[in-house]
Amino acid sequence: MLFYDNMTKYLQKLNLKGIIMKLVVKNLKKKFDKKEVLKDINFVFEKGKIYGLLGRNGAGKTTFFNCLNEDLEIDAGEFHIEDNNNKRKMEAEDIGYVLSTPNVPEFLTAREFLKFFIDINKKRIKNLKTIDEYFDFMKIQKEDRDRLLKDYSHGMKNKMQMLVNIIASPNVLLLDEPLTSFDVVVAEEMKQMLREIKKDHIIIFSTHIMELALDLCDEIVILNKGVLEEIDKNNLNNEQFKNKIIEALKEE
Amino acid sequence: MIETFITSFKLKNTYRVNSIIYSIKQFPIIKKILPDSLYKNRGLKIFANIISILWEIINIFIGKLLYIAIMIFAVLSLYKTNQADTFLHIFMFLTFAGAVLNTYMLNPTKDKYYAIVLMNINAREYGLSNYYYQLLKLVVGFLPFTILFGMIAGVPLWIQIILPFFVLTIKLIVMNYCLYDFNKTKKVANENLPTKFVWSFVAICLLLAYGLPAIQITINQTIFLYVCIISIILGIYCFTKIHNFKDYKKMYKQILTASNVYMTENNSGTQAIKDMSLKQIELDKNYTSNKSGFAFFHDLFVKRHSKILTKAVKKQSVIILVIIVAMIIGFQFNEEFKNQTNDILMRYLPYFVFIMYCINRSSSVTQAMFMNCDHSMLTYRIYRTPKVILGIFKERLKTLITINLLPATLIGLGLASLLYLSGGTDNPINYLVLFVSIIAMSIFFSVHYLVMYYLLQPYNVSTEIKSSTYKIVQAITYFVCWYMIQIQLPTLSFGIATIIFCIAYSLISLFLAYKYAPKTFKLRV
Repeated sequence: MLFYDNMTKYLQKLNLKGIIMKLVVKNLKKKFDKKEVLKDINFVFEKGKIYGLLGRNGAGKTTFFNCLNEDLEIDAGEFHIEDNNNKRKMEAEDIGYVLSTPNVPEFLTAREFLKFFIDINKKRIKNLKTIDEYFDFMKIQKEDRDRLLKDYSHGMKNKMQMLVNIIASPNVLLLDEPLTSFDVVVAEEMKQMLREIKKDHIIIFSTHIMELALDLCDEIVILNKGVLEEIDKNNLNNEQFKNKIIEALKEE
Repeated sequence: MIETFITSFKLKNTYRVNSIIYSIKQFPIIKKILPDSLYKNRGLKIFANIISILWEIINIFIGKLLYIAIMIFAVLSLYKTNQADTFLHIFMFLTFAGAVLNTYMLNPTKDKYYAIVLMNINAREYGLSNYYYQLLKLVVGFLPFTILFGMIAGVPLWIQIILPFFVLTIKLIVMNYCLYDFNKTKKVANENLPTKFVWSFVAICLLLAYGLPAIQITINQTIFLYVCIISIILGIYCFTKIHNFKDYKKMYKQILTASNVYMTENNSGTQAIKDMSLKQIELDKNYTSNKSGFAFFHDLFVKRHSKILTKAVKKQSVIILVIIVAMIIGFQFNEEFKNQTNDILMRYLPYFVFIMYCINRSSSVTQAMFMNCDHSMLTYRIYRTPKVILGIFKERLKTLITINLLPATLIGLGLASLLYLSGGTDNPINYLVLFVSIIAMSIFFSVHYLVMYYLLQPYNVSTEIKSSTYKIVQAITYFVCWYMIQIQLPTLSFGIATIIFCIAYSLISLFLAYKYAPKTFKLRV
């Protein structure tokens, strides 16, 4: 609790400097049968940053995302959005979730999928562009735009999934291992794209690849033994920082 | 080799035991009480082991009993030929057909996949020892029933005893041919996807088995004796070939691919269902929708799934129409048929609950909705907002009802006109009740399946059914409909009761769907 209070004070200070939105997670707990996967999650995520969520296999990264996305009922605790210090419930519109396995409606063409998505989100989309502009933005080739999504490759489906989540411009963007299925060129494009959009979002990015996390993320957060902790870089160089992360992950 | 066999038997037993425990855990209330550590529990393991072994033993006999009783013994009385000869005749030709359809060894089953592919057990030892075990089970399983039914049919004792061995030798001959073919072509076919050649061979065998006795031709004991001697000599030769064959590993590598294996195990073959669902999508380049939002989305879903939606009901409607017309023509020629139909229509309306259950498309359509659409869309949080969920629900409800109404209207009108043409009724309200109750049943099933789907959404992200409640509701639906077959009630009262029930059920369940679907309609985890 002390940690959380300190954090809040710290953020209130920062707030004056113009950070206006936060995702606050308080005492979140989730267990399956008797196994406590998330023991006590306390964290404040801020807009404008990319958080790298690291954790060992089975640590509960996806469970954490599923809880935030309300795919899973949480056992205790809560999470909410603080907008200019106004606390409010996190709504469906606030959240975008890109899964590691791409999920797109197979019976639509890419263009139809975008059209549908824009239709149902019309009110929320700021500075709406044409469908082709979005395709250009995501570098989806002209000849692919009118193909059925069931014929798309894994990576292409992932691109589409990323694109629709970005169009809706949700305040919180959860990315579960999103770059692993891309080839190196596309992965580089995606990273660049995430850096471009990060100022308007809270981005939480889970990955196993530490280099990727160090390269892209502003903060490294570790999920270990059911709690989230931030790893401070302080004055460490990259090598020392890496060792510190690995040590933290090894802790039993 | 015996060691390999024991290992493989233990392996098979272990996962059989685990699946027994798993299915125990699927019941809604028991699930809550039982912990995950269940798989370690000794007492339960012993219990499951006993069930598993009992199952293995029952398995040896039950299939053989049913096979001889239904496929051979039950039809004997249809023929005027000598019973004993007919018994032998049908037995022999069915054995030929059975041997090409099931060789045991080439059947891509899960246990082979686990043992040979995943655990790298010696393929030859595994294949052969399990093959011999299967053959042993075959002889042991057949013997009591060839003796029992052979005795009743009047077959001499020596033939009764030799029959199981005859089956065995035929199996060996076919198996050896498959190995020979594999040696030559380096290709082996999945026996669960028989080729046209195999199907034609089976068809010919069936025709010979059941057709010849109808025109008074059967084999006799002498012919059977010759066939038997030849097959035994060949069988022994083939046995040595099979036993000394070397390339089992190569052969199994070809058969035991994941897709072959999971195709056979339909219950857990969610990937197979997924693949099948994907095949249902058809792209009609010329079709675009000028609607927007949910209507656009749903409109395209319907158009791209016309195979299971519009086309399927059109086919149904044609068949229904043909049956009705055929019956009307039948009335002109056969007075008794006419009277019987009239009687059936006045008393057997409950039977139509089952028919309406069978022809309703909603169950497979909701499955396609999940596999091809909601499976992916539900991961988008925005898709789960009440507005979107209920908007799409409404579109789907409209479509399901309309689509199922086409055949239902035909049946309703058809029944009413059949009633009229078969002699009519004293109470003209019966016509109306017949028609309206059929329509009501159709709407009921459409609403029922869709609401169940929205309230219980049973699948998880890897398209496995995770809700036992959903399974139970489906089973109850089936049993209630099936039970209706046995009920005879006056059409008027049953029809009116049905109509009231359907309307009430639909209203209540729609109310529940509107109230709870935004909460319940999500992926299971």
